[in-house]
Amino acid sequence: MSDKLKQIINKQSEQQNRDTLDQSDDIVQLVGFIIGEEEYAVPILAIQEIIKPFSWTRVPQVPPYVLGVFNLRGSVIPLIDLRVKFGLTPKKHNDETRFFVLKQGDEVAGFVIDRLTAAIRIKKENIGPAPETINGDDTAIDGVGKQEDRIITILKVDKLLERDF
Amino acid sequence: MDEFQEILQDFLVESFELVEKLDEDLVELESNPEDLELLNGIFRVAHTVKGASSFLNFDVLTHLTHHMENVLNKARHGELLITPDVMDVILESIDLMKALLETIRDTSSDAGIDVNDCVVKLDKITGGSGEVEAPPAVAEAAATPEPEPVQEESSSEQSSDEEEPDYENMSDEEVEAEIERLLKQRQEEDRKKREAKLAAGEDVPSMPDDEAKKEQTPKSQATPAPAPVQKSTPASKATQQKESPKAAAPAKRAPAAVEQTIRVDVKRLDHLMNLIGELVLAKNRLIKINDDVEERYEGEQFLEELNQVVSIVSLVTTDLQIAVMKTRMLPIGKVFNKFPRMIRDLSRELNKKIELEISGEDTELDKSIVEEIGDPLVHIIRNSCDHGIETPEDRVAVGKPEVGTITLKAYNEGNQIVIQIDDDGKGLNPQMLKDKALEKGLISEKEADSMSDKEAFTLIMRPGFSTAAAVTNVSGRGVGMDVVKTNIEKVNGIIDIESEVGKGSSMKLKIPLTLAIIQALLVGVQEEHYAIPLASVLETVRISKDEIYTVEGRSVMRLRDDVLSLVHIGDIFEVERILDASEHAYVVVLGLGTSKLGLIVDTLVGQEEIVIKSLGDYLKGIDGIAGATIRGDGGVTLIVDVVALMDIAKGVKATALTESTTTTVNEKTKASDYTIMIVDDSKTDRTIMRKALEPLGVTLVEAVDGLEALNTLKQGDHNFDAMLIDIEMPRMDGYTLASEIKKYNKYKNLPLIAVTSRTGKSDRMRGVESGMIEYITKPYSADYLSSVVQRNVKFKSEFL
Repeated sequence: MSDKLKQIINKQSEQQNRDTLDQSDDIVQLVGFIIGEEEYAVPILAIQEIIKPFSWTRVPQVPPYVLGVFNLRGSVIPLIDLRVKFGLTPKKHNDETRFFVLKQGDEVAGFVIDRLTAAIRIKKENIGPAPETINGDDTAIDGVGKQEDRIITILKVDKLLERDF
Repeated sequence: MDEFQEILQDFLVESFELVEKLDEDLVELESNPEDLELLNGIFRVAHTVKGASSFLNFDVLTHLTHHMENVLNKARHGELLITPDVMDVILESIDLMKALLETIRDTSSDAGIDVNDCVVKLDKITGGSGEVEAPPAVAEAAATPEPEPVQEESSSEQSSDEEEPDYENMSDEEVEAEIERLLKQRQEEDRKKREAKLAAGEDVPSMPDDEAKKEQTPKSQATPAPAPVQKSTPASKATQQKESPKAAAPAKRAPAAVEQTIRVDVKRLDHLMNLIGELVLAKNRLIKINDDVEERYEGEQFLEELNQVVSIVSLVTTDLQIAVMKTRMLPIGKVFNKFPRMIRDLSRELNKKIELEISGEDTELDKSIVEEIGDPLVHIIRNSCDHGIETPEDRVAVGKPEVGTITLKAYNEGNQIVIQIDDDGKGLNPQMLKDKALEKGLISEKEADSMSDKEAFTLIMRPGFSTAAAVTNVSGRGVGMDVVKTNIEKVNGIIDIESEVGKGSSMKLKIPLTLAIIQALLVGVQEEHYAIPLASVLETVRISKDEIYTVEGRSVMRLRDDVLSLVHIGDIFEVERILDASEHAYVVVLGLGTSKLGLIVDTLVGQEEIVIKSLGDYLKGIDGIAGATIRGDGGVTLIVDVVALMDIAKGVKATALTESTTTTVNEKTKASDYTIMIVDDSKTDRTIMRKALEPLGVTLVEAVDGLEALNTLKQGDHNFDAMLIDIEMPRMDGYTLASEIKKYNKYKNLPLIAVTSRTGKSDRMRGVESGMIEYITKPYSADYLSSVVQRNVKFKSEFL
């Protein structure tokens, strides 16, 4: 019994050690999601919550990618369809669709994404700048993260939350 | 440092409050220069500010208030008569004081304002009698009183003044002794005051307060000098008898000051208001749930208990909301206070004689609204002074009293506060207004002809409109009334102007009590709901389509004697027309400021109390939307911004009830292009139908009840060519489903086939009524079902 306990404690401390190691190693924590065919990610700290889709209210005189507003426990929050915003055709919501509620400062908005992937820990050195052609002040791309088998586009939260109409 | 900040905050709050009251008192003092009560009050303000500012090391402010205090002190002791010119200097110094206080508030220091000029003027008034601007009259008045009391008083006053700097040089014992002495002196004074009051109360019951004060002054000096008292009494009696209600007012106000109050940070009140807002939303939701439960469990025992709880909660919530709203209420007097001073300045500037009568200053309004209406009122009153009231000569010539009167009153009227500004000036001439507007190109000739007098009055609200021949300091730039309109509309208020040439004009501002929680009319258009602030709704009318006429490309209708322009809410908010428009529509007549508009909606949902929530930075500034609210069912409903809506409406052409029917025909190229929905709650039945239709190769979608079927249909993932519907299903039965589907324009031609074991004739009739075109009774053969479906979807035989 005590052996088992010891084992567990050892494991935990090991885990902790690894965690601290990771932190010292300039690790960025992201949450990945899919829109269309691409995988994107935003910093985990910018995410207030991830919820299943529910009904929203249309708002007139806004670009098509602003679906409307919805009620998040008493706050009225805008809902933005990232598919449409990224130039894809709108898709019906299904079981995998989620609302990503992002927050920065006082700005809060919900974003519709096709599917969640995973929480990602990625070393800073593995994040490259956005490709030259889409570089500039206007881009919503913060950088490109390289994992072993895939490439993840990291988005700028402040750009996403910025009103651009 | 924090402690200092705290003290500073208290000091500023207190000082601003004092100064605000000061203006009013000073103007009253001018008309009633010997009112000791008033003088004492004003003196105390200067004194308090001086004391506090010296403690906080605001030297400039101390310097200024010290000299003000000197002047006021002299006046208080009857050595100085307050003439308009003396008053000008005092008012100037008070303006400086305000400026200083504002600088302190913004920068925490009182540097940067030069008070020397004013101090010199003040000094001249106190020091020399004749040399300064003060006219001979003042000199006389100041000189006439016997010299002895003057010296007596000033010496006693000086002694108390001189004591202050001495403290620093005193030893501890000396300070103790000094305190002892002052205390004794104070007690003595108090005792004498009481005696004097008592005596005065017996002797002169008519005006105990003033008399007592006057007597008390000489008595406390122990050298009774009857001369000044007698001198002042006849004069003050004359004025006081005339002004007796006014004189009584400050005396009454005194006890109100000791009322128990707590200063509360406005932020806390705002927070409280927000919480109440949430509570109101929860209450609305509770009520809705209660209704639902009532429907489902009719007659059950626990319902009554639930009902009681719900009604108590809603009652208490409403009370709580009112109570919190009241804590945010301020008397409108806070705004009115500055007007006596303003009128005084204006009348001197314009060489007119104007009297201001204020009533209803105790009427209360939400703090945020009180802040908004200050400016509009200033503009309206300036306007009345400049354009309304004539010069004294003109007034006498037309047989009016020389002094013009402006009445400012506030009162409650239902859910609104009415602020009414009347003047007895020359009034508005509608014809002249129209001519002016034509000249400036604000309206067309045609418009001018069809304009009623009342509409003509509203011209003064147009930007760029001014009737003044010349631009003066006061008005004539054509900005003022435009500001009035914008600000009043901002708080959802209505402006009503009435006027009669030669008699004067009257302007009524109708303002809602509060902004955060409002009564709203909920309207429906297609499947969407919108909330319209009830304050802007004048009435609602049900009309049929042929009552709508089109004039110059715009929809209008006749409403009693008026022609009302109409706009469809769907055109403004780009609502997609999916539901079939019915023969009848409702018109919500909106009134704002002075204009009217009819808003066509599909349905009226009802009246509800709503809490206004902002749409946030991301969506702010959407035309026509003022905010959003959360409804009882948890959904979000947008609140219509009536001001903006009226603007948008001007640009909307008449498309109101015209329908556009565009049907897209999809060419079928293979069997699976046909999509058929099977709606049945029994899995077996669904499987039987599936088996019967699968050989055709069509796409099949299943739904287990009416609600699911409707949702699947609405989602629009598939273009259905036919639906097979069972009649008896939970949640939503087949009849209801069919009639729901038929409400939509685009499903008009969708074949609905009933598949049921109900064989009665009446069942078949109901099926037809609800829009089913075929009726298949169970049991049926697979071939029969298949053939019926093929026939209805016009299945191309080559796919077989």
